[in-house]
Amino acid sequence: MSRSALKGLPSDSKALLHTVGLVKMYQADGVSVEAVRGVDIDVGIGEFVAIMGPSGSGKSTLLHVLGGLEKASRGEIWLRGQRVDKLSTAAWALLRRRHVGFMFQFFNLLSNMTVADNVELPALLAGASPKQARKRREELLAELGLSDKASAAPARLSGGEQQRVALARALANEPSLLLADEPTGNLDSSNTRDVLRLLQRTHASGQAILLVTHDARVASMADRVINLFDGMVADDAPMLRIPRPVPSVRDVLELHG
Amino acid sequence: MRGTLRWTRADLRARRGQALLTIAVVAGVVAALVLSTMLLEGAVNPWKGLFARTRGADLVVYLSNAPGKETSELGTLRYVRTLDAYPAAPATLEQARGSVKSPVQLTAMPLTLPSISTPLVVSGTWLRKSAASGVVVEASFAAATHLRVGSLLKVENLDGTAQVGLTVIGIADTTDQGFYPQWTPGLIWAQAPVITKIEPKGGAQEEVVDFRLTSPTIAPTVIVDEIDNLYNFSPDSGNGLVVQRFYTPQQVENSMASNDRLIGLLLGLFGVIALVAAPCAIANVTAGRVLMQRQDIAMLKALGFTPGQVVRMLLAEQTGLGIAGALCGVVLARVMTSPEFVRPPDGTSVGLGTLPGSWVALIAVGTVATVAIATAIPAWWAGLVSPVAAVQASPPRGHLSRIARLGLLVHLPAALVLGARDSLTRRLPALLTVFGLAIPMVMITIALSCWSTIDGFSQDPARIGLVSALTVTPGSYTGSVPQLIRNVGTAYASSEYDTTLPSGSGTFTALAIGSSSGPRRFPFQVVSGQPYSRRGEAVAGQGFLDLMHLSVGGYTQVQIGSLLITVHITGRILDPDNNGDVLAFGQDTLQDQGVSPVPGYSVILKRGESPAAAQAELLRLSNNDLDVTLVPNPASSLGIVRVVVAVSVVILAVIGLASLLTATAIGLRDHRHETGVLAAMGLTPRQVMATLVVNTTILTFIGVSSGTVVGLVLAPRLINLQGQASGLGSGIAVGLSVVTVISVLFVALGIATAAALGMARRTMLMSDPAAQLRSPARPGPNIITTR
Repeated sequence: MSRSALKGLPSDSKALLHTVGLVKMYQADGVSVEAVRGVDIDVGIGEFVAIMGPSGSGKSTLLHVLGGLEKASRGEIWLRGQRVDKLSTAAWALLRRRHVGFMFQFFNLLSNMTVADNVELPALLAGASPKQARKRREELLAELGLSDKASAAPARLSGGEQQRVALARALANEPSLLLADEPTGNLDSSNTRDVLRLLQRTHASGQAILLVTHDARVASMADRVINLFDGMVADDAPMLRIPRPVPSVRDVLELHG
Repeated sequence: MRGTLRWTRADLRARRGQALLTIAVVAGVVAALVLSTMLLEGAVNPWKGLFARTRGADLVVYLSNAPGKETSELGTLRYVRTLDAYPAAPATLEQARGSVKSPVQLTAMPLTLPSISTPLVVSGTWLRKSAASGVVVEASFAAATHLRVGSLLKVENLDGTAQVGLTVIGIADTTDQGFYPQWTPGLIWAQAPVITKIEPKGGAQEEVVDFRLTSPTIAPTVIVDEIDNLYNFSPDSGNGLVVQRFYTPQQVENSMASNDRLIGLLLGLFGVIALVAAPCAIANVTAGRVLMQRQDIAMLKALGFTPGQVVRMLLAEQTGLGIAGALCGVVLARVMTSPEFVRPPDGTSVGLGTLPGSWVALIAVGTVATVAIATAIPAWWAGLVSPVAAVQASPPRGHLSRIARLGLLVHLPAALVLGARDSLTRRLPALLTVFGLAIPMVMITIALSCWSTIDGFSQDPARIGLVSALTVTPGSYTGSVPQLIRNVGTAYASSEYDTTLPSGSGTFTALAIGSSSGPRRFPFQVVSGQPYSRRGEAVAGQGFLDLMHLSVGGYTQVQIGSLLITVHITGRILDPDNNGDVLAFGQDTLQDQGVSPVPGYSVILKRGESPAAAQAELLRLSNNDLDVTLVPNPASSLGIVRVVVAVSVVILAVIGLASLLTATAIGLRDHRHETGVLAAMGLTPRQVMATLVVNTTILTFIGVSSGTVVGLVLAPRLINLQGQASGLGSGIAVGLSVVTVISVLFVALGIATAAALGMARRTMLMSDPAAQLRSPARPGPNIITTR
């Protein structure tokens, strides 16, 4: 078997996403820079994993490589038990349609399409009929509280609304894995709260999420936090959930002294 | 598939303005191509169009001995589908204002237009019951004899025994015979009673029969033989109808073929213009569209569009627009050339050839293919765009060049230096913008030069070899013609001889005029070499020199009548009349050899005297006995080129504007995000707007000026080349005046700057500089189409 079994990580059959010695190198001014150096991570089915690290640690690059937006320089990537690091651009595109949803820090909605079109496009791309796509879109927008904005142009929405539309678009095809790159990086605190609550709800319904953030608050919602530093995994630990004691009459009596 | 359709639909809806612009450009190009091809064909030979429109006869037969004989039996002949027969009588025309008698043929026609060889009425009306003595005159005859609707004429029969007064009520074209005076007699259609009045006895009367055969390829002699057999032709019996003569469409076509090759070549030039400008314009517009969608394309790939899908989608979208544009262009061309729109000047035949459907389809398909090819490279490039571009909007790559640093050092306005960055550092986009403007400007300059050349023809005819404005023959005037002419100008005795080339392969005109030296020497304006100064010397036109493979300074022998004459060619003249197939020398060169010249005079008018006024004056002084004709100026027939020039300039301006708008939009998109940074650095809003606009303005200036300069250099050479090729001779080109050039530059730059400023202002108003600082460089709503 692979090294992952020796490391005591969940076996391949349970891991949704699994990398071995992932390396990504860039050429900048004739010098090669390793943005990601030998990263081994796992994401289980339905697991919520956060990747944290200072700027320049390579977390965004890692996410791009995992989603096939960039090609890995070395190493293995296994998605749903299938090796994907050597796939062509076209094959990756087909894979992304069905199994990977993306959210970005700057929303990246298609500017020449309405909100409804934006959310329906992935479904149409995956082969759904226009009627099915419309039904799915109506469901998603209703869930996210955006039904009245269906025919608006993205530019007219607020940041929070745009990110919610982006979330709807990412979930349109019920992907196996949702990749989010600093989804709250461009939002104010109330919008951040809203988007995070939605992400939690999505996770609660069984969606696997891999999220990159520099915000500890955001990371604290995850099941597991991976810390990256200088392109390598510095720490990979589950979030401890300390059960809070149920408030009782005694606490109130104690407060009042 | 559904995904691509959805995106394409949304894109077209969102960028409606750009889509319409693309369609407009393609439509313009297709219409221009169709129009120039039709004009080219029509100018070179008007016969084809006219034949189709008038449903010309497959064979025209003139039978004599007609009255009382039945012609209906002709319908039973083999190969004859239908026929129309009309009585006709030969006569001579005496116009009210001249004593010149022209040979005419009066043909009796019904009040309803016939179905075979329908005369095409271009002015006035056809024969009417209310005008019993009204006649319709054939267009070329009317032009030659200056007849117009309302003119009065007197027609008398060959014996001079009967005369009829008639009024012209209409002018029409026909392909039954060629143009007068190459083809005589002139044709006049009248009602049957007029014929009877002219030829009551019917002795000289003929029957004109227009045949529609079962197949146009049947040899005419077959039909003629059959007619002869039908009437048991025997020269002595005098009982049967006799075929006097017959004409095939081919003969008429050959006769009508225009000698004016210059028109054809000039129009061909415009076809080339359309062919060159089209791909450039289309490529510019489509490349611009794709460039502006770079980030959206990256996002599509992140969503799961494969590169191949993206390429195919963009290609299909642009090709679809191209097809829509081509269809619009075909419709536009059809509308522009339909008879309802295009009425030729009174008395002239229609100048448009017909274009078979296959040609139109070829032009349309070719243009669509050009669109597809022009889109291919930007589309392929879009396929290569990395999906990561959606995530990280990389700023346009550039660096502050040495020149820019120098500029800042010498305290040039910061706005100017910063604004000019792109033109200095991003060479490829800058080059594309410059070319996108330079090429239309080159074409516009060439087109305007053609216009001014034609203007030169009419304003200064001497420049193109039309030194004399009138030709005069004595007619029935018995007095001294030169003395009479002295009232309006100077007379030079001249006579023309049609001469066969030594090789027998064609003819040229030998012109004996004035004397070889002294005051009676005709002042030819030579464009190269010297005018002749002695007997035995001559000047020649380009066409003659080409035919004889001679150059100025050579010697040649020509046969005039039965005499062989040797001449030394000392100079080259421009000759618009005979396509340059002319050799001119003093009359004494001929007298030497014993050939007495035919009496005739060329008149050089006094300064300020207009040809028409001089003609009227001479006729008045001679009591209408003199025969005075105006020398035709090619400018009149080149009028159609002016139309083409005007249309071309408009189309080229649209193409240039499209390139400009695209370039400006890209420039603004790339630098919008800097507005916040620049404001933070301390530039005032006006300076910020200036930086947005300066780049485009600099490139526009470079493009427009370089295009104009190249055009000014090329235009005279190209026009002279056309002149040379047509035989007229090189040297006809008239350059544009300084005022014109400056106005053109002014207008072009003015429009460009106004457009750029307008768009920049809208961008500034829409965007919030501070917000730009918070979010990364992303394209905002499309600048051209946002409502």
